[in-house]
Amino acid sequence: MKDTQTRVIVISPDSILTPEVLRNTIIKKYKVTVKETCFGVYIEGTDDKLKDIVDDVRELDKNGIFSKSRGFPIGDVRVCRSTRKGGPRPGFHQLDAEYKLLPRIRAGLDAMDRGEEIPQVSDKGKIDIKILSKIIEET
Amino acid sequence: MKVFILPPNSLILSDLVERAGHEPLVLMKKIGERVRDPEIDSPPLNITDKEPKEGLRYAAIEVPAGVRGRLGLIGPLIDEAEAAIILHDAPFSAGCVGCARTEDLLKYLIRAKFIPTIEVIYPHDEEAAKKMVKDIMDFLGSLDRSNGAD
Repeated sequence: MKDTQTRVIVISPDSILTPEVLRNTIIKKYKVTVKETCFGVYIEGTDDKLKDIVDDVRELDKNGIFSKSRGFPIGDVRVCRSTRKGGPRPGFHQLDAEYKLLPRIRAGLDAMDRGEEIPQVSDKGKIDIKILSKIIEET
Repeated sequence: MKVFILPPNSLILSDLVERAGHEPLVLMKKIGERVRDPEIDSPPLNITDKEPKEGLRYAAIEVPAGVRGRLGLIGPLIDEAEAAIILHDAPFSAGCVGCARTEDLLKYLIRAKFIPTIEVIYPHDEEAAKKMVKDIMDFLGSLDRSNGAD
């Protein structure tokens, strides 16, 4: 039981892939537990097998598929929204925040693959107190 | 190489570390060990009295038990780390630590360890994201892969 790991595979919102395609691709080739979700899939199996699956599905959309480990097993009642009487499940807010950022991360990975020159972004820093005072006076 | 990430449950940072052929040290593995351990009575309320004691290795007794409990869980990951990535200025919903003082202490522990570390700022636009990804991948590329995941 301790050898079993769970992983989350998240599809970037700008990808043409769907969780259904991802699930079907995995279950056709591997004997692991797969749960389809709105943002991708959960997979459960031994660590080596899960790494192979992640490498395999990355072929479908190299920079549009992201993955990380998950602490709780699939279908664990301790984090299930039904048994916890609703509310977001633990980890939802983090996943939600990062899910929205994925298209930008993909743009970064794509730019690196193309060997694109990345312009230096100037650090704007905090607003000067004099400018802030002026804005307050004007409003 | 074993790379610690902050936030310790970040999907993006964990994914980038694995893409670069290193092993991310993430909180989820620690949680996984605990929730699958039959000896723990009532996960997910699985912080036992061991964690605040373990946290004493990283913070003084005056530090609140909540901070020490968190450090008891995340501190051993920093002990194991050979490199680190710190993400600054993330929105409040990004990151699982849920305690600003714990985050400060974690940053302090990383810096005090003098391991290769990159500190990046949460990207609010595409150009900043491109720069962040490039900086992280360049940093990871410069690390020795000998003890990595691959």
